[in-house]
Amino acid sequence: MAPIENHRAGKTPRTTAASPVEDNTTKGAERELPVTGLGEETTPEPVAELDGLFVTFRRGGQAVPALRGVDLQIARREILGLVGESGSGKSVLGLALLGLLPVDPSPAVTGRALVCGLDMVRATADERRRLRAQHLGAVFQDPMTSLNPTMRVGRQVAEAAGTESEAIRLLDAVGVPDARRRVDAYPHELSGGLRQRVMIAMAVAGEPSLVVADEPTTALDVTVQAQILELLRHLCDTTSCSFLLITHDLGVAAQVADRVAVLYGGRLAEVGRATDVLESPAHPYSVGLLKSRLTLSARRVGPLPTLPGEPPDPRALPEGCPFGPRCDHHDDACDMALPPLIAAGRHPGVAACIHLGSVATTAELPESWAPAVKSGDAAPMAVRLLGIEKDFVIRHAWRTKDRLHALRGIDLTVAQGESLALVGESGCGKSTLLRVVAGLLEPTGGTVELGHGARPQMVFQDAGASLTPWLKVGELVGDRLRAEGLGRADRAAKVREALALVGLPAEVADAKAAQLSGGQRQRVALARATIVPPEVLLCDEPTSALDVSLAATVLNLLGRIRRQLGMAMIFVTHDLGAARVVADRIAVMYLGRIVEIGPAEQIVTSHTHPYTKALLGAVPAVGVARSPLRGEPASPLHPPSGCPFHPRCPIALESCSSVDVPLVPLGACSVACVRASASAPRPKEVTVASVT
Amino acid sequence: MAGLLLRRLGAMVLVLLFLVVVVFSLERISPTDPVHSFLGANASKAAIAAERHKLGYDRPIVVQYVSYVRDLLRGNLQMSLRTRRPVATDLVAYLPATAELALFSLVLAAVLGGILGVTTAARFKGAGLFRFLTLSGASAPQFLLAELGILLFYRRLHWLPATGRSSLANAPRGPTRFITVDTLLHGNIHGFTDAIGHLILPGLCIALIPAVSIGRVLRSSLVSTMRTDYVRTARSKGLREVVVLWRHAMRNSIGPALSMGGLQVGLMFAGVVVVEEIFGWPGIGLYTYQAIPRSDFPAIAGITLVLGAGYVLVNTAVDILQAVADPRIAL
Amino acid sequence: MATAEPYLPPSVGTLRTRVVFKVRRRRRSSAAIGDRVAIGLLVAITMMAFATPLLAPYKPNLIAGDAFARPSMHFLLGTDEVGRDILSRVLFGLRTSWFASLEVIASGVTIGGGIGLVAGTAGGWIDDVLMRITDIFLALPGPILAIAVVAALGPSLQHTLIAVAIVWWPFYSRIVRGEVKALAARPHVEAARLAGAGRVRLALRHLLPGAIPATVVTASLDVGNLVLTLAILSFLGLGAPSPAPELGAMVARGLNYLLQEWWVPIMPGLAVMFLAFVANLAGDGIRDLLGMA
Repeated sequence: MAPIENHRAGKTPRTTAASPVEDNTTKGAERELPVTGLGEETTPEPVAELDGLFVTFRRGGQAVPALRGVDLQIARREILGLVGESGSGKSVLGLALLGLLPVDPSPAVTGRALVCGLDMVRATADERRRLRAQHLGAVFQDPMTSLNPTMRVGRQVAEAAGTESEAIRLLDAVGVPDARRRVDAYPHELSGGLRQRVMIAMAVAGEPSLVVADEPTTALDVTVQAQILELLRHLCDTTSCSFLLITHDLGVAAQVADRVAVLYGGRLAEVGRATDVLESPAHPYSVGLLKSRLTLSARRVGPLPTLPGEPPDPRALPEGCPFGPRCDHHDDACDMALPPLIAAGRHPGVAACIHLGSVATTAELPESWAPAVKSGDAAPMAVRLLGIEKDFVIRHAWRTKDRLHALRGIDLTVAQGESLALVGESGCGKSTLLRVVAGLLEPTGGTVELGHGARPQMVFQDAGASLTPWLKVGELVGDRLRAEGLGRADRAAKVREALALVGLPAEVADAKAAQLSGGQRQRVALARATIVPPEVLLCDEPTSALDVSLAATVLNLLGRIRRQLGMAMIFVTHDLGAARVVADRIAVMYLGRIVEIGPAEQIVTSHTHPYTKALLGAVPAVGVARSPLRGEPASPLHPPSGCPFHPRCPIALESCSSVDVPLVPLGACSVACVRASASAPRPKEVTVASVT
Repeated sequence: MAGLLLRRLGAMVLVLLFLVVVVFSLERISPTDPVHSFLGANASKAAIAAERHKLGYDRPIVVQYVSYVRDLLRGNLQMSLRTRRPVATDLVAYLPATAELALFSLVLAAVLGGILGVTTAARFKGAGLFRFLTLSGASAPQFLLAELGILLFYRRLHWLPATGRSSLANAPRGPTRFITVDTLLHGNIHGFTDAIGHLILPGLCIALIPAVSIGRVLRSSLVSTMRTDYVRTARSKGLREVVVLWRHAMRNSIGPALSMGGLQVGLMFAGVVVVEEIFGWPGIGLYTYQAIPRSDFPAIAGITLVLGAGYVLVNTAVDILQAVADPRIAL
Repeated sequence: MATAEPYLPPSVGTLRTRVVFKVRRRRRSSAAIGDRVAIGLLVAITMMAFATPLLAPYKPNLIAGDAFARPSMHFLLGTDEVGRDILSRVLFGLRTSWFASLEVIASGVTIGGGIGLVAGTAGGWIDDVLMRITDIFLALPGPILAIAVVAALGPSLQHTLIAVAIVWWPFYSRIVRGEVKALAARPHVEAARLAGAGRVRLALRHLLPGAIPATVVTASLDVGNLVLTLAILSFLGLGAPSPAPELGAMVARGLNYLLQEWWVPIMPGLAVMFLAFVANLAGDGIRDLLGMA
């Protein structure tokens, strides 16, 4: 039972600066938070209260439970982070609170979902609507599709806010620059970050009691995500709103939430204060999730600890603990009944596990990788890029066209067996560079030199979509054998071998992509790429569409196969955490340029470029104060002159807008920044990174 | 917006020129030589040659085309083989009746289609039966509708007339030559209701099929729009369902229905020909019906040009309306 | 060869349940039953069309009894102005209408689909040129143009079919090209290119099969329209010459008897409606079964 100031003081200094006391004159006395998951008798009156909530959909005559008896309270003026993987029921929970569960066909709902005293389960449609108008707000995942494309944003906000002037005030308050002018814009005229701010302005219009934010940052770039999270925290501190922050990413929840609730298979696994759950998780699932998270301090010398298996199929949930099939502590008792939430023991919250006492918090570390291949001049090269330029021509009406400068002079060498990560935000050109190396795009300028060996192969972001839906896995995987002139039987044997290598049974060869799970599809894609081992394996954000617990598994698989087959790897990601784990070297890209490149550990610990610093700062982590980078990347249609980063750079000099800085070796890294040598003079080492 | 307008108009001119090319080439491949047909079978060779030269048929094809277009721009459409009058004169005489009927049908189709689309977008009891009925409506050929309409409303019930535009002996003949409008301008309320009465049956026969098509397209796009994220957002603001439908869903769903409406105009014109013949409606349709068995190609060419131009015009308007409805198109 | 860590998850077990689940859903849905009935009916009509000479009680063009005989057990749909059996004529008319519609649809799908596939896979200027031509054709009113074409070629069933086929293909060209373009932007095509698939294999194995459902659905929803359009042209006298049993022409010739001997012009009209209705119903059914609502 700690007041919010005390509770948060330790981890976010910003909270005290925002000083919610000044902003709230009426409800000062209510600002006490429950510190336990159950809320118990300590809370005067929660904003929302779920009581034994069951939601069951019916598809094709089969019951598909989404929520199975959830008890949860959301206190006044708190951010409750609801964490779960796909299929856990987290979005359904949010929709139930909003009274917006699908109506056609509508699911069977039992239990109660009280919001501001109204039971959203039993209330009439009109009662629910009026409650939404007065007391609820919502922010959804994709701000592009969540805003009406044919209505000016000012009007959309005014619908919730009442008047145009209030809409302008709100847009201003959520950090939309030049709000008075922007009210006349249509959503497609705004950047992703601005659109999400518009959504948030709509959600907090009229100071609702509760805002349900369903994955509000998932569709955004990391630096923009950090801005939006900061905004949510600020709004919670300065208004009387509570927030339910639904996310798949524990890190996101950890960064801004007061309390965290972990959902698994439609059941709460653990509820407690954010710091408690993240620092001393009690439930084996929370433990596993935290272990497999790609943080900036994760182990990189061997495979990552993983959660085995995949999230449960809601159509075939186990009788007992839903996590049982993936749990190290699983025994017969777990399968007897659904475990209830009991005192977590390790922290004042609650957890649903009958073996809480024996759950190990530290993972037994798997074996280590063989030492990484030496990169640099010594090793023979697998790929060498010289002065790569790539423009796209965008045609408009009237025969006018624009040039989109996706890549602007990239020099890069990847040694045989080396792993390089390309890191940057959307529009930085990282995926374009990958496609140039793959030969899928012709560069506008520059040369691509490949070593000998098979043509580069690629693993795509959406593995499912990279498999032709109407063809069988066997045909897809065996496609590249056609050139080898093998007989049918030989091909089939090779396909089985390739599938086995990625851990798939031979039967998968007769399936089509739609019949496989997300993890299986990713493995099939990998088998297809490696059936004839290429010299270079290209990976385009292969884990970003996967659940957290699967991402580590896939990265381990990539690491193992790359080493086993002696392939070099170029790995594109927006996540420095993932980059650090998979790569020997990291190249940070911004608007078609490499701004910093060097050994992975150095980039993470002793980087020089302000953009690298900002990217690292934006990685969500527990209890780390954030000062997110302002603004969003400029359009590659009109890249700024001089250093492309200077408009957002906190340490830019006047000359940065005119002087174009090349990559300059600095220690083990190379950096393109005028302030680099000035601010951080370091002795040059003899071994220079292999940047030409 | 101005750019879009200009682009659409430019495209329209291009399509119209192509239409002229098509009609011009058809005229040249037509086995019924217009000169022969016009002069009769036993004209002398010299007379034929003189006539060919007079019509310019001995000049290069491109020159012929250019002079054809020039004639068109002057409103010169050759002579009808049947009526022996200039086709242009005939068309001017028949056009107002057809325009009145076609416009009435178009409005009827749009209104009926809109009602059909919006009411069926919501689920209700008996939706299956309704689907059955609309599908029947979409499957009934205009001539069958006309026959059944005449048998029921004229023969049995005596509610509606079965022929012509008006029962008045002295129906006003100006200034717009739309009888509904002219009677109103003359303050002749009886004449007006009489003219509307004459429009209802043929209008419904023409409008039913397009109305069902428009309604079905509108329904399916409304249904999918009502499932979009931004409609969920609108609901999360606590807007009333009616407001959500009209303010958020309608404008985003109207595009496909507009396109469908534009495309249906082609089929409507064919329907106009059939319906005018059955109801003795003195318009272009009747003129066409009479021209076909006589192989009066100059007349049919003129009709194709006029109706084709009308179709192109309507669809250009549809394009522009769509850009008005969706700001992303005007980019 | 070493294998990766054992893979526990819903491997083959789920694989099977998912397949079963799909099949079950289709079987249980009540809408699917209606769809199947409609498609079955259409198949029955097709077979009847083949067997028409065996089914028709009288020769279609020969006088079978008194003129204007009312519908009776003897003449189920009555006789016409010269005493021919209307049922026999309607059966032959249905056969002509149905085969003609299928012919035009088939030619539209083949010509339009071919052009669409070429435009969609080739891209560049080929795509531009082909699509400009398609667009210009689409911008003209099909039925009116068909009237003009038949009038120029001279009326006959063959010419009518040619005329309608000329105005019917651009629609399919657009549909197939759009589908192919949409598919070409999907990652699986990029993946197939990387796996070394050639141009032809790419088009036939990785693109075309994906465009088929949409094309089939469009075609099946379109047959009803085509039946009506052909009936209108026949009504206008643009079909086979006089004694031939064509539904539209029968209506046109019987119009004079509407108020007294109503069955003469009504029965062929009802036959057109019946055919269009079953075609539309089956079209809906095919759309539902292919899951493209």
